[in-house]
Amino acid sequence: MNTENLSESQLQVKFITKQEIYAVPDVPFSVPVNINIKSLNKLLNELLKENNSNIIKSIDFDFIVLGELLRVSLVEHLEERNQSTEATIEIEYVERTQAPEPQDALLHDDWVSSIQVADKWILTGCYDNTINIWSIKGKHQAASNKHTNCVRSVSWLKKGDPTKGFVSVSHDLTAILWNWEVGTNDIQEHAILKGHERGIDTVSVSPDGTRLATGGWDTHLKIWNASLETDNDEPPSKKTKGTFVRTPLVTVKGHKETISGSMWSDDKTICTSSMDHTIKFWDAEMSSIKSEIVGQKAFLSLSWSPLNNMVLASSADRHIRLYDPRSIEGSICKSTYTSHTLWVPTVTWSQYSEHLFMSGSYDKNVKLWDTRSPKAPLFDLSGHDGKVLCVDWSNNQYLVSGGTDNNVNIFKNNNYN
Amino acid sequence: MAKKGARNKRKLEEHIPKKIEEEINEESDVETDDLLNVINNEEDADSSDSDRDIEESDGEVEDVLESATNGNDDDSDVEEEEDDADEEEDDDVNEEEDDIDDEEDDVSSVEDEENEGWTSSENEEEEDKPKNGTSLSETKSKTKSSKNKADGGSVSSLTKLVKNDDNKEDDEYKNDSSDDEDIRNTVGNIPMKWYDEYKHIGYNWDGKKILKPPQGDQLDEFLKKMEDPDFWRTVKDPQTGQDVVLSEQDIELIRRIQARRNPDAQFDEYAPWIEWFTSEVMQMPVRKFPEHKRSFLPSKSEAKKVSKLVHSLKMGWLKTLAEKEKERTKKDAMNFYMLWESDDQAEHMRRIYKHISAPKRALPGHAESYNPPAEYLFNEKEMKLWKKYEETPSKRKLHFLPQKYDSLRKVPSYSRFIKERFLRCLDLYLCPRAIKMRLTIEPEDLVPKLPSPKDLQPFPSVQSIIYEGHSDMVRCISVDKIGQYMVSGSDDTTIKIWEINTGRCVKTIPVEGIVRSVEWCPNTAINLILVAASNRVILINPNIGDYVVCEKTDELLKEAPLSDLIISDKVKTTVQWVDPTEEEYAKGFRLILKHFKEVAQVTWHGKGDYFATVMPEGANKAVLISQLSKRRSQIPLAKPKGLVQCVLFHPTRPMFFVATQRHVRVYDLLKQAMVKKLTTESKWVSKMDIHPGGDNLLVATYDRKVLWFDLDLSTKPYQTLRLHPTAVRAIAYHKRYPLFATGSDDTGVIVSHGMVYNDLLQNALIVPLKRFEEHKRVNDFGVFDVKFHPHQPWVFSSGADSTIRLHCN
Repeated sequence: MNTENLSESQLQVKFITKQEIYAVPDVPFSVPVNINIKSLNKLLNELLKENNSNIIKSIDFDFIVLGELLRVSLVEHLEERNQSTEATIEIEYVERTQAPEPQDALLHDDWVSSIQVADKWILTGCYDNTINIWSIKGKHQAASNKHTNCVRSVSWLKKGDPTKGFVSVSHDLTAILWNWEVGTNDIQEHAILKGHERGIDTVSVSPDGTRLATGGWDTHLKIWNASLETDNDEPPSKKTKGTFVRTPLVTVKGHKETISGSMWSDDKTICTSSMDHTIKFWDAEMSSIKSEIVGQKAFLSLSWSPLNNMVLASSADRHIRLYDPRSIEGSICKSTYTSHTLWVPTVTWSQYSEHLFMSGSYDKNVKLWDTRSPKAPLFDLSGHDGKVLCVDWSNNQYLVSGGTDNNVNIFKNNNYN
Repeated sequence: MAKKGARNKRKLEEHIPKKIEEEINEESDVETDDLLNVINNEEDADSSDSDRDIEESDGEVEDVLESATNGNDDDSDVEEEEDDADEEEDDDVNEEEDDIDDEEDDVSSVEDEENEGWTSSENEEEEDKPKNGTSLSETKSKTKSSKNKADGGSVSSLTKLVKNDDNKEDDEYKNDSSDDEDIRNTVGNIPMKWYDEYKHIGYNWDGKKILKPPQGDQLDEFLKKMEDPDFWRTVKDPQTGQDVVLSEQDIELIRRIQARRNPDAQFDEYAPWIEWFTSEVMQMPVRKFPEHKRSFLPSKSEAKKVSKLVHSLKMGWLKTLAEKEKERTKKDAMNFYMLWESDDQAEHMRRIYKHISAPKRALPGHAESYNPPAEYLFNEKEMKLWKKYEETPSKRKLHFLPQKYDSLRKVPSYSRFIKERFLRCLDLYLCPRAIKMRLTIEPEDLVPKLPSPKDLQPFPSVQSIIYEGHSDMVRCISVDKIGQYMVSGSDDTTIKIWEINTGRCVKTIPVEGIVRSVEWCPNTAINLILVAASNRVILINPNIGDYVVCEKTDELLKEAPLSDLIISDKVKTTVQWVDPTEEEYAKGFRLILKHFKEVAQVTWHGKGDYFATVMPEGANKAVLISQLSKRRSQIPLAKPKGLVQCVLFHPTRPMFFVATQRHVRVYDLLKQAMVKKLTTESKWVSKMDIHPGGDNLLVATYDRKVLWFDLDLSTKPYQTLRLHPTAVRAIAYHKRYPLFATGSDDTGVIVSHGMVYNDLLQNALIVPLKRFEEHKRVNDFGVFDVKFHPHQPWVFSSGADSTIRLHCN
């Protein structure tokens, strides 16, 4: 009875979009209430063809109703949000995010704990104490095993510019600044950063590339000079010629447990996540806490997006949480993304879209998410045969991830041209 | 006497209500008996007509006299005397007037009758009346008066009449001194009949005989009667034997008494009532004294009554008007009732309390029918069977033989009817019936009210990481102080160090021997793991984490401190401190303690300098406490009572817990004395752990119990938890969260909420929260050890399936 009614009854909808080329006239349409994405797509494509003669082949769209991606039939979507079906519904449509294509897998000797892409070079840190540089085509370019314990995090000193060198941090309590002649296998360690008392887990470079922030098991956040220029005060390393030992500029204490993730939000602000259930924003110049978000669970990583100024934090309880640090009412969790079944040790925003982000989990999956779809990710990027330890999307074209199966998987992003 | 009687009567009449008047009348009659006797005596002597005057003037007097003459036994007549006086009198008067002519003739006949002995008094009276000529006028006057009496003036006329008589005979009484004081006869109060034989009747004051007056014969009497006008009121004084003529007052008195009036003629019965004690409040009360104290105090008896009423109201015995009204309306409203009582309910019977109705007999089936279907009729086989049980009919399926009749008419009378009825009756009254109470307790009701686990978060809820790498069962695990690494000891004779967050095995160190216990040194300044491998206890520097600390540790342990202490033989035979070989040193071994028996457990003191080792087979050298800085061992317990299972240092105080199979003994290390002995009430203790607060102890036992001891409460367990169906092998408290976990052979790890309150009055709250069963069972072993993460609400469990599992919130 009810379903019959549903199939018969109609609903007023209006299509809007932010993409100019796909604009349709602003006229309300009557559609059956239980219309799904497929039918909507059909309808919209016909509309487009009527209006715009340029568009010949049909395009897949995603529809956003009430701020969330439509994944079920329209009426169910509305019912879930207690929305009346009487009023005219505005449906925003965007070109559908296309599935990333698996491109390559780079086999390492041991677990890949960290990864970052700059231009066409992939920098990975390994549990066998090595740092590797691969070309995006899958060619092993250079390696170094100067660390004496597992490398936990790596980062290019300048985003997208491999010529400026990179930094790696390790559980041997040191971080190393490296010089690399792009395209060669010549990696020079420039300076050894000593000062941490326990293993270092995270490193991040300020947007201008002059400062480093590291954090680890000694719960201290340390800020270092990231320049590859030689400072006269720095003593040369005893072990290796041509390298210097550098000490931290500032040590900031505030976290109670290990710092699991860090990110510079601007040249003066660092945000860190910690296992003590907090995300803290630090003023790098004043070396003090600016603000704090208190969560419920231990955070394992964080990512801050300059596009929407929001913080994503993943935790041991399988969820990824979206926080708005600007909200005054405190640490309000904007939404929770649940699909992983085990720990989510890594999460990262896309660089070009304020809605997209990717995450990797111990359940062997890498997932591509849209912030507007909290219940289900856009795509599951499977391929790993072990825990995923790190993901990176620094290069908009490539989604890369590394895990305990010693592999780095590269997916090509078809959305970004 | 008569006066007294009269007075009594008056008193009584005044005070006793009318109801019992009749009885009193009887009494008064009895009291006046004497007087009546006197009068009777007189009348016996001479039934003169003159007394008729009185009789007729007042019928009641007459009647009394009549009854008296009849023999004084007619007391019952008194009541009847209260006839309607007026009617009687009228009749009498008429009769009398008629009879006047005849009276002279009847004299002789009267005499005859008198001689005969006064048989019929009524006849006599009627016949006597006209004899007296003098009485005639009086009778007439009386008739007048009686007629007057109808007007209400009869009494006064009568008194006048009597008074006239009095005036005549006043003189005679002047010399008469026959009152009670004037006792002329000195014989005293004796029955005078004693003097019947004598001529005298007693003695006077002078001692002279008082002679009886000459007794005249009947004729004299008669003459006297005839002649003496005062004869009717002459009585004989029994004391002196003299005749006494009653005075007018006496007569009046008698008459008043007989009339049941106040003997005192002067008494005004109709005096105006003076209300001395009025209900009105007076300015000056009649009683001048103040109100009695009790009139101000609340009455106790009334209070009692009130409390009785209140109690009965409470108990519902007494209903208030409102309640009664309510009940009535309810009764009126619920006016419906079953026409027939239902079958399933017990019949309500008065006087039979809790009547259990007899069980119903089974309804007859088809077999009992007079015309049963053919299949119910016995075939030959069944018939055989029927006959087989001839001797033991109780074994038969049916107690009768199904039989077929063409019609109901042909059914014969049932021969067993009486017998069966009789048996049924026997059943009913010989077989006692009893109501069996069945307890209907829902299992849910027995479970104590506990907070929902949801409200007790955080606690581990999902399995997150599996640490795989050991090749045999993992007997023990230990987590370092900051939660970065974990060490595990296994039956594959290795220990492994794991990175907790990634599940990576950082190091594997072979130790030659089954590792039964490992523990990370609680002192953060040194990086050491205590490993119990077979009969060796090895101190291993894992060389991870802060290399400065590692180096310091190495330095600390490099050289043995010089000690001039002489080690006793007992200790020497128990343990030997050995430096590792180079090969071993490279593996991380820093010190080796060789024990004489297999070591089952090692545990650090909170400060990280002392550690205790347990050798269950070591008898009186079972427990050993060693000091790292001085490389010295001692045997704290000279004679442990029982097989030592495990030991524990108190987290803050210098106390030492030793668990034997059945008891946990608490020793004070400073005083070197036993402080407490906890009774586990179980057979075999496996492990124990102490709450970081130090006041609560958890003990796991092989007989499936988990015991929570509150050390402040008693030596008995505060709570006994039977969470596991098999032996409990591991138990651990969380250092920060109110959690504890237990691991058992059934592969179950149970995480429970164990909140200890700072308030000493509040007992610990224990709520089982979550059960994990991820481990696999190997050789009937499940979980060997559970440990909590030092900061997070995460629990590790190691099992016989050679894995370690982390459960996260």
